[in-house]
Amino acid sequence: MGYSFPEEVLEHVFSFISLHTDRNAVSLVCKSWYEIERWCRRRIFIGNCYAVSPGIVIRRFPEVRSVELKGKPHFADFNLVPDGWGGYFYPWICEMARAYPWLEEIRLKRMVITDESLELISKSFKNFKVLVLSSCEGFSIDGLAAIAANCRNLRELDLRESEVEDLSGHWLSHFPDSCTSLQSLNMSCLLSEVSFSALVRLIARSPNLKTLRLNRAVPLEKLSTLLHRAPQLVELGTGAYSAEIRQDLLSNLTEAFAKCKELEGLSGFWDVVPFYLPAFYSVCSRLTSLNLSYATIQSPDVTKIITQCPNLQRLSVLDYIEDTGLDALSLSCKELRELRVFPSDPFVADANVALTEQGLVSVSEGCSKLQSVLYFCRQMSNSALTTIAKNRPNLTCFRLCILEPRAPDYQTLEPLDHGFGAIVDHCKQLQRLSLSGLLTDRVFEYIGNRAKKLEMLSIAFAGDSDLGLHFVLSGCESLRKLEIRDCPFGDKALLANVSKLETMRSLWMSSCSVSLGACKWLSQKMPRLNVEVIDEQGDLDSRPDSCHVEKLYVYRTVAGPRLDMPSFVRTMNQNPAYRR
Amino acid sequence: MDVTLGLLDQLPSSDGGGGVPSGGSTTMRSILTGSKSKEDNNKNTMVVSTEVTSSYPAVVDDESLDGLELGLGLSIGGGGLKSKTAVTGGWSQYARILTAKDFPTTLVSEPNNSCSSSSSVNIPNSSASGTKRTATDSVSPPNGTSVVGWPPVSKAHRMPNLANQMKSPTENFISKSEQNKSKNRTVGIKDYSDERNGTANKKYRSVKVNMDGTLIGRKVDLNAHTSYEMLAQTLHEMFFSKWPSKEAVKPSRLLDGTSEFVLTYEDKDGDWMLVGDVPWEMFISSVKRLRIMKNSESNELASRCEENSERYRD
Repeated sequence: MGYSFPEEVLEHVFSFISLHTDRNAVSLVCKSWYEIERWCRRRIFIGNCYAVSPGIVIRRFPEVRSVELKGKPHFADFNLVPDGWGGYFYPWICEMARAYPWLEEIRLKRMVITDESLELISKSFKNFKVLVLSSCEGFSIDGLAAIAANCRNLRELDLRESEVEDLSGHWLSHFPDSCTSLQSLNMSCLLSEVSFSALVRLIARSPNLKTLRLNRAVPLEKLSTLLHRAPQLVELGTGAYSAEIRQDLLSNLTEAFAKCKELEGLSGFWDVVPFYLPAFYSVCSRLTSLNLSYATIQSPDVTKIITQCPNLQRLSVLDYIEDTGLDALSLSCKELRELRVFPSDPFVADANVALTEQGLVSVSEGCSKLQSVLYFCRQMSNSALTTIAKNRPNLTCFRLCILEPRAPDYQTLEPLDHGFGAIVDHCKQLQRLSLSGLLTDRVFEYIGNRAKKLEMLSIAFAGDSDLGLHFVLSGCESLRKLEIRDCPFGDKALLANVSKLETMRSLWMSSCSVSLGACKWLSQKMPRLNVEVIDEQGDLDSRPDSCHVEKLYVYRTVAGPRLDMPSFVRTMNQNPAYRR
Repeated sequence: MDVTLGLLDQLPSSDGGGGVPSGGSTTMRSILTGSKSKEDNNKNTMVVSTEVTSSYPAVVDDESLDGLELGLGLSIGGGGLKSKTAVTGGWSQYARILTAKDFPTTLVSEPNNSCSSSSSVNIPNSSASGTKRTATDSVSPPNGTSVVGWPPVSKAHRMPNLANQMKSPTENFISKSEQNKSKNRTVGIKDYSDERNGTANKKYRSVKVNMDGTLIGRKVDLNAHTSYEMLAQTLHEMFFSKWPSKEAVKPSRLLDGTSEFVLTYEDKDGDWMLVGDVPWEMFISSVKRLRIMKNSESNELASRCEENSERYRD
């Protein structure tokens, strides 16, 4: 049955569909929709850069304007992925430079990008606008200089948490005087000074600058100068927030902040001297986002700030806030959506602050819109978790880190299975979960049975046997990313759920009990998975199959085994039919 | 169709033989009741008779999806759920049955496996049931530092205490950078990324090379070179290979001062010197970065070098 519907109409309809998942669904309807869709897709998201090759992407989507790529697995943030593992951007930029002359946006996460690549970006795309490098590495200030110098229409340059080698520090002056298009600049990760005069000039000629995140090296004394030049800022990241105690400096700063009528987000705050905190009180009532996670200020100071922020939606803070501060938060900030509490002394077993599970319970009671939690603490109980779950069934992200591995319910000394079970039971929309504390296979049974929307699960020092892993792999229908460390999970559960692995983006298992032989078997059985064994002890070839692998990273791919692996990474035996 | 899936010691060898199921539908039962059909000194090998099913049609058919039974009556279906009460209410009795005795000990991670790679935290060899444990039973390091990557704090959030304590004049980020811009180095928070930092000193020594008139600097690995001539050759390839072959820029002429360009370096003390005057080993140990300078500027440098060497003569 044929029908003809003008392509232009379909294309117009598709232009309203932006979510990647929706676009993918559209492309599966029929061949003609696939064709139309692929010609009009402008944004691509590739969650694992090794799942597909640049050639395949370019062949299918010829008119792309925006590319987003992710490289290393998440556990790379915690030093679990050795240097040189991979995630190189170079092969992508080489082909995209030729194929996508109209590319406007590149967003990378956990990838390695060199100065040469940055230079290539800056010279290949006439209309380049947005560069976001999140937790990336491999480049230096020179690469940034190339971007600054050559991208005439640069709108956004965001280096969040990247590692930049900056020996010379002078790159801002490479922005030509004619560049006035900048809207967002995040250089908070840079360690050395930038030229202040170049910075001021750049800001002064960027009337559309909405986001400015300075690095620590920009001293507080100079902040008011910058603010005077950019009173239209919506998001500001300060530099170091300390200076000698001077009344005149405080009043200058207060005045400068008061002029910023659009300010909604604040961050930065290294080295805080509390004397200067009142300078920004005037913007608190408008704040929707506040990141104090570098600020080592004590609970009374933190409380003083947040009680003035009734519109706060996102808060990141150190555990200095303590239970009392979280109580205040729960009373004052009824719009809170996201809370992150980081540990001030993560490597010390004894509590240095009065922050317990109670703080989180309070917030769950008072903040009815709370959806996303990241909480580091030293004690937890099943009853607290159950209370939180009942209070906040609308949670979509729950990441709890009890600092001591395998810490039991501190009141009953039981495992925390029931508590987390309550979380997955009540929070039916839960998409992301990180577990900690003492946990048996039972918690995984709960998760497998109840967490049907769960997409990402992080497990550490938990479980008793393969049964735990089996529960998760066989039960969690929406699971896309699973990362496991130091759990007694071995071959059986893995090999009993091989086809599940093709429905997921990736699986990471380190310091578990998976054998080399099982890895080989898995890769033979599933040719569209790359089964990568990471082992830094060398001579993987001479090990017996029964040997446990250090680290295992399994991901689905249509690109076959990758060719850029260092010596300590091996892809297990592959089916030659899938070499591209 | 029942297929015996032999694991581990019956794994297919590289020629593809062995117990790999030939496809078609398979059903899984008794995933975890293992029967050792082979006595083995090596504790880690195990043969398990299982039938494997998958609820994902991509690989196998799954007609008879009566779910996965664990030999204990506990059904875990691919998508099919038992009622909650059956699962939770009856758990304790199943927990009792699932003791360590039912499983070969290999299912629980054994730290004494000689090629095991568990992290330094000793994973307790516990029973598989959900028995209570006292706080002392959980083995963990006295403080978390001996476990890599735990607690899971990203680099930016490690040691906020320490980073902020570095306010003393000698160690403050800001005062240091104001003192000496050109020598600014990364300090502080990088302490905890030993793995990342380690490479900087150990295997290769790369220094930056900038050439006058070129925006982008390059890096060269000094440890990969054994002489000035080799270095000059590399630099020639890096910077001049695109130029039509000009007499002016032959590699050797970079060193002897007869070309348009001159090779200089910054040493440990921050002084700029001409490359080639000192023995190679001495050069390697003191060079911080390189610069290919236009000849006109290098004359000034040469005269400054004269002054310096006169100063040091005393």
